[in-house]
Amino acid sequence: MAEDDDRVFKALADATRRHLLDRLFEQDGRTLTELESELEMTRFGVMKHLRVLEDAGLVVSLRSGREKLHYLNPVPIRLIHDRWIDKYTEHRVSALAELKTRLEETA
Amino acid sequence: MSTTTSTALTTQVYQVFIKATPEAIWDAITRPEFTARYFHGARITVTPDHYDSRSPDGEVWGDEAVLEFDPPHRLVHGWRSLYDPELADEEPSRVTWEIESQEGYCLLTVTHDQLESSPKTAASVAGPGWMMVFSGLKTLLETGEPLVEA
Repeated sequence: MAEDDDRVFKALADATRRHLLDRLFEQDGRTLTELESELEMTRFGVMKHLRVLEDAGLVVSLRSGREKLHYLNPVPIRLIHDRWIDKYTEHRVSALAELKTRLEETA
Repeated sequence: MSTTTSTALTTQVYQVFIKATPEAIWDAITRPEFTARYFHGARITVTPDHYDSRSPDGEVWGDEAVLEFDPPHRLVHGWRSLYDPELADEEPSRVTWEIESQEGYCLLTVTHDQLESSPKTAASVAGPGWMMVFSGLKTLLETGEPLVEA
C-alpha cells in the first residue's frame, strides 16, 4: 500500500523520531515518561512524535496495567527494505554501505 | 547510524497490514502447505490443542501446546526453538497472533513474550527471524508468490 509507505518515509524524515526509534531499539517496551526523560523536549512534543510513529506502524503501544508501553515495530522498515533495496541492487548498495562504514570508522 | 545492539528483548511486538481476509490469514498461519512457503520452510500444523512444526525433511522444529485457539482471530501457543540445540535448552516462551479485520485489510499483531529466561532465543528471533516471516506472509497473501522459494 503506497499510502503506508508514505507514512513510514514521513515518520522517518525527522531526527527526533529516528532518535526515539533508536532508544526503543536499545530498550523496548518503554513508557512515555522514560522516553521523555532522555529527550530535551516537552512531554507534549514527545507524545506528538510518538503519535506519528504509531500512525506509520513503526511504534506499537500496549497497555500493561496502568502503564502504556511503547514497542518498536520493525516490520514496516523491513517491507521498505524488501521493496526498495532487494528489488534493485542489493550488492552494490551493500558494497557502498560497507565503504561508508569503513571510511567513517577510520575517520 | 546507530550500531548499538538491542539488550532488552523479553517482549517483542510485530505488526503488519495484510490485504486479505482474516480466514485467509488464519489458514496461512495454521496449515503446513502455506507455512512452508514463508516460514523458513517450516511445515506448521496448528490444531486446537497442538502446535507442530517440521523441517522440510520432517525433523521436529516445534512441538508445543496451543493455549488459545479462536479462529480466525486469536492464536496463542508456546515456543521453543527446537531447530537449534543451543536454543532448545532455553525456557519455553509464548507467541500470540491477533488478527483484526479493518476496511479491506487486516492488521496482524504478533507478540512474542515470556522470553525473560531465554536470551539467546530472544536475540535469534528478533533478528531477521520474525521479520522474514511477516514479509513473506504478506507477499504470499497479497500476490500468491512467496518472497523466497522454500
